[in-house]
Amino acid sequence: MRRLTLGLGLLVLAAITAACSPTAGATPPASAGPVDPNAPVVVAQNNVFSPTTLTVKADKAFSLTLDNKDSAPHNVAIYKDSSAAEQVSIGAIVSSAAATQPVPALAKGQYFFRCDVHHEMTGTIVAE
Amino acid sequence: MSTATSASTDRALGPVDIALRVGIVGLTLATGYIHSTLGGLLFTLNAAGYLVAAVAIVIPLALAVRFRWVVRLGLIGYAATTIIGWAIQGPYFTTAYIAKAIEVTLIILLAIDFARIDGNPINVIKSELGELSARFGRRSATGSAGA
Repeated sequence: MRRLTLGLGLLVLAAITAACSPTAGATPPASAGPVDPNAPVVVAQNNVFSPTTLTVKADKAFSLTLDNKDSAPHNVAIYKDSSAAEQVSIGAIVSSAAATQPVPALAKGQYFFRCDVHHEMTGTIVAE
Repeated sequence: MSTATSASTDRALGPVDIALRVGIVGLTLATGYIHSTLGGLLFTLNAAGYLVAAVAIVIPLALAVRFRWVVRLGLIGYAATTIIGWAIQGPYFTTAYIAKAIEVTLIILLAIDFARIDGNPINVIKSELGELSARFGRRSATGSAGA
């Protein structure tokens, strides 16, 4: 009985420690990729993207930087349209950090982006 | 292990029961805390739900003690719904995996606690329904006698 109690105690302690650890906030920054100073920037603050419309050159690959000023985890996930069925570029989820993601060349048109953690955070990329 | 709910509410808790209860509260608060750090209305409401459940699982109010089995089943359902919702919608990142591991462990501990304190859930529900129908039967009989 003591062993069971001890085992349960250790299990719970491990879970609480994991929940409260600094790395629990998001994926490690190492996986977020280096920040490109020339990349267009989308800022996430108070669970809102700014700007919500981004204009880029069509048919040219580019890098996109997310500057997440929130402690809550965010990313920029670009899809063909708002159904989010077809992925274009999915950025790393980061907390209180910036991350740059590669975006392939986009044909002329409008693309939808959102935070995969908070679906209410959305925006549009216009390729022209 | 008892099958009747009314008997289970009166039973004194042993060291394992207390350890289970502490574990359940700890894990519930841990996953609630994780959800509270994610921001947004949905996660905040989810965190609030876990906080309420953590209180309900230990509060020594007569009503809460009487219906602790409902709280246990409710929390199992709540955690399972959270896991299913995440499995469908994502996103799949480190924090989410930690939270889901905690919720799976929580469900296991709740199931053990339920089995130890309340017994077979089907028997508990049957017994509660029987008690409820008997009470209603008595009430309607008293009502018609008084009329």
